Amino acid sequence: MKDEEIGAIARWVHDARKPLNRISMQAELVKMALNGDIPAEKAQDALDKIIASTKDCSHALAEMMEELANGKTE
Amino acid sequence: MLTVLLVDDDPEFTEVACTIIEFLGHDILTAANLAEAREWLTKETFDHILLDFMLPDGSGVHLFDELDALPKRPKVTLITGHPSVRGIIKGLCGPNIDYLVKPIQREDIEAALTGKKEKPNSGGPRIKKYFGHLIGESAPMKELYKLIERVSRTSANVMLLGESGVGKEVVAESIHAASDVTGPYIATNCGAFSKELIGSELFGHEKGAFTGAVNRKEGVFEQAESGTLFLDEITEMPIDMQPNLLRVLENKVVIRVGGTKTIPVNCRVVSATNRKMEEIAESKVLREDIYFRLAVFPITIPPLRERKEDIPLLASQFITDFNQENGTRFEWEETQLDNLMTYDWPGNVRELRHFVHRAGIMSDPDKTDIELPKTIESPFAKKQSTSPALEAGRTIEDVEKELIYATLEKVNGNKTLAAEMLGISTKTLYNRLHAYGDLSKDES
Repeated sequence: MKDEEIGAIARWVHDARKPLNRISMQAELVKMALNGDIPAEKAQDALDKIIASTKDCSHALAEMMEELANGKTE
Repeated sequence: MLTVLLVDDDPEFTEVACTIIEFLGHDILTAANLAEAREWLTKETFDHILLDFMLPDGSGVHLFDELDALPKRPKVTLITGHPSVRGIIKGLCGPNIDYLVKPIQREDIEAALTGKKEKPNSGGPRIKKYFGHLIGESAPMKELYKLIERVSRTSANVMLLGESGVGKEVVAESIHAASDVTGPYIATNCGAFSKELIGSELFGHEKGAFTGAVNRKEGVFEQAESGTLFLDEITEMPIDMQPNLLRVLENKVVIRVGGTKTIPVNCRVVSATNRKMEEIAESKVLREDIYFRLAVFPITIPPLRERKEDIPLLASQFITDFNQENGTRFEWEETQLDNLMTYDWPGNVRELRHFVHRAGIMSDPDKTDIELPKTIESPFAKKQSTSPALEAGRTIEDVEKELIYATLEKVNGNKTLAAEMLGISTKTLYNRLHAYGDLSKDES
């Protein structure tokens, strides 16, 4: 694998990690809501955002695959 | 409480992180880039900065010079999206910098802000909390979990019976957690209000309802809409207030004190008392009609002495909590936990928790050993020794002395009876006590 390819992948991975970070934090909110630390309706909101973030993440990965397949690393 | 600045360009992340950090009891301000961060630094003093490594207008590392120039340099934790950045950061900023790697968990933030390196629960098995609250694997607790699960699927009112300190409020919270309800959990103590104020606490009041009622107030029944209302010490409620409560329970509406409008209420009422069921019936502290409304589903919570096998679990959890709060690393020794199990804990889990807390305070914070006091003392219980009764190396005199005192205590100081139990003559017993210097001459 060429250097520029690795560089490109690193960038994609970075983009995919952003939604993962959101998911992790939103999940913490859900835990807090279940504990009664914050209002329960916040959990609903957080879960919606988790679902949205999984789509973002999946989208980022699909995009990466597509670009790699096209050999378009830049 | 710390004042924290969070610098990150992902608005969703900063929003959630703010909620969590505020919940942890800190003040938090946010910046989306270096420019905003610099602006905050001129206006505010911060204890801690959580700094993203990659920002739109440059790397978080660029902020370091400015931080060094501040009169009080805040602690810095770098947030990176990439584990490999770790090495670079160390090279740039020296080994004294903290960093978090995304995805971040709440514990990570907690650990970074309190300056603890290890994640909590990293050592030892994690103790399972049923319904997020309850600890214990004993048969009586398993039975309790079953009851909670059953009742949580219904909307029935629950009455919790159990001795002081068994955790009635914790069980109430568990029922709330297990129920599929949207409303909040509201707790109030019926014993804590004067006769005049309890009406206002429960049902609310209108502005001007009585002297001092300067504003309208929602009662707890209204606050707990679609949720759970916990009424602690229900049997301490003045008997002449009980008809009002009964009306609310029967009609499912409240009228605020001084008001005329009926307000519909819809919440599960979990009430609690430390009196026994028979006692409630006999002493007439609770009207019979109210009792049947509240105790649709009565649950008796077992005292700690009936589930002694849970003591090590609870003690471990309490010391973990203590460690988290205080940044210590205390660990129980097997023999210490065994000793705790021999005590009856008349004050139940609450007594155990306070005991562990006290032991934590008394111990050397730099060590892992927990120092237990020689005896577990409670004004509500007789003294009990925490040192093992029989241990190799103790002198026979010592053990004998302890045995004599324990026996005397058991028979309330009746020496004839004690001597009989010990299988010695009364004279021998007196002689021994003399030798311990515990008898005045005229007594012998």
